[in-house]
Amino acid sequence: MADEAALRALLLKGLAGDEAAHRAFLTEAAALLRAFFRARLRGRNEDAEDLVQETLVALHTRRESYDPNYPLTAWLYAIARYRLIDFLRRAKHRNHASLDGVDIGETDPDYEASDAKRDVATLLDKLPEKQRTAIRLVKLEEKSVREAADQTGLSESDIKISIHRGLKTLMRLMGQEQTT
Amino acid sequence: VKTEDLISALSRGVEPAERPRWRMNLAVTLLVGLVVAVALVAIGLGVRPDIGAARMPVMMKALFSALAAAVILPVAVQLMKPGRPLGWRIGAIVLFAGVCAIATLVALMGEEPSERMNAWMGGGVPWCVVLIPVLAVPVAALLTWFMRAFAPTRITLAGAAIGALSGGIGAMAYAMYCPTDSVAFVTTWYALAIAVCAALGAVIGSKFLRW
Repeated sequence: MADEAALRALLLKGLAGDEAAHRAFLTEAAALLRAFFRARLRGRNEDAEDLVQETLVALHTRRESYDPNYPLTAWLYAIARYRLIDFLRRAKHRNHASLDGVDIGETDPDYEASDAKRDVATLLDKLPEKQRTAIRLVKLEEKSVREAADQTGLSESDIKISIHRGLKTLMRLMGQEQTT
Repeated sequence: VKTEDLISALSRGVEPAERPRWRMNLAVTLLVGLVVAVALVAIGLGVRPDIGAARMPVMMKALFSALAAAVILPVAVQLMKPGRPLGWRIGAIVLFAGVCAIATLVALMGEEPSERMNAWMGGGVPWCVVLIPVLAVPVAALLTWFMRAFAPTRITLAGAAIGALSGGIGAMAYAMYCPTDSVAFVTTWYALAIAVCAALGAVIGSKFLRW
């Protein structure tokens, strides 16, 4: 697992637009998050994986909120903790969700990715059409922003904004999904 | 969707992130909030009629309020983004509150015993405790909207900081109307009004900060 300095370097490169570094950062972050959420939601690995995905989207869409003058892990875990508290708050409203075993505990050494409970792909259908199309074309069908712009008749910046807004909406939907 | 697939989708075609110009935006937000609060005082309450003669005390009260806002600002800025320590910034607020308490006592000691109550209460109900929070509402709404664009993770504290900061701005505007000039009145009731704003911000503001 990468240490603070390595992880920070990856994020900073990602912030500068380095795709491979950003992917590596998210992959490392996913491992850290998985250990974090599994330790706190013992035995609920699917919920933990939902939270991992939700937090990854949060890290991505809010990445510009990282200030290089402060430790990266503090930033990352602050967001993870916030997503966890938000999740528990929703679980409490749901009533039947047990809060047993939710506590700060040992890190789970086993951090294999399991399937998340919800499917992000189905959530895409709930997005406004413009955002859904932009995300589908660029993020799933691997088209460039230019191609997506040509295909939809939107401007390139419009596509970018739609993706950004769409991802934020998606993160919110991911949260709501757990309450149902 | 597997987590790896999500990661691929997120990182695909990633763009250089924009460095948000938050300092400028925050300054503009605060300024707009102040202007709105001043306009509210001018329209709703009316500037005190002796503003010309009372320029000095009005300035002092506005300065006191600005100082309160300035002391709270660093905490609010830290709470705006995830994982930033508060440290000495909380100490500064505590120190400010302490100085207010001491100033109140010293000022009251200096008054004639018969005048003390009057100097402290301003000869009636200290309406500023209600009116300052009202004047703070527009700034608070703007600041909440501003902060949501970032990623506040301690939203109760962030709400309180927004409330207190807005209270300071509201109090600056309120100084134009406020007819009471005694030191003890300002250090007690203005400070209390700002504390009320902080409490309201913690309870109400935090609801709007969720993301």
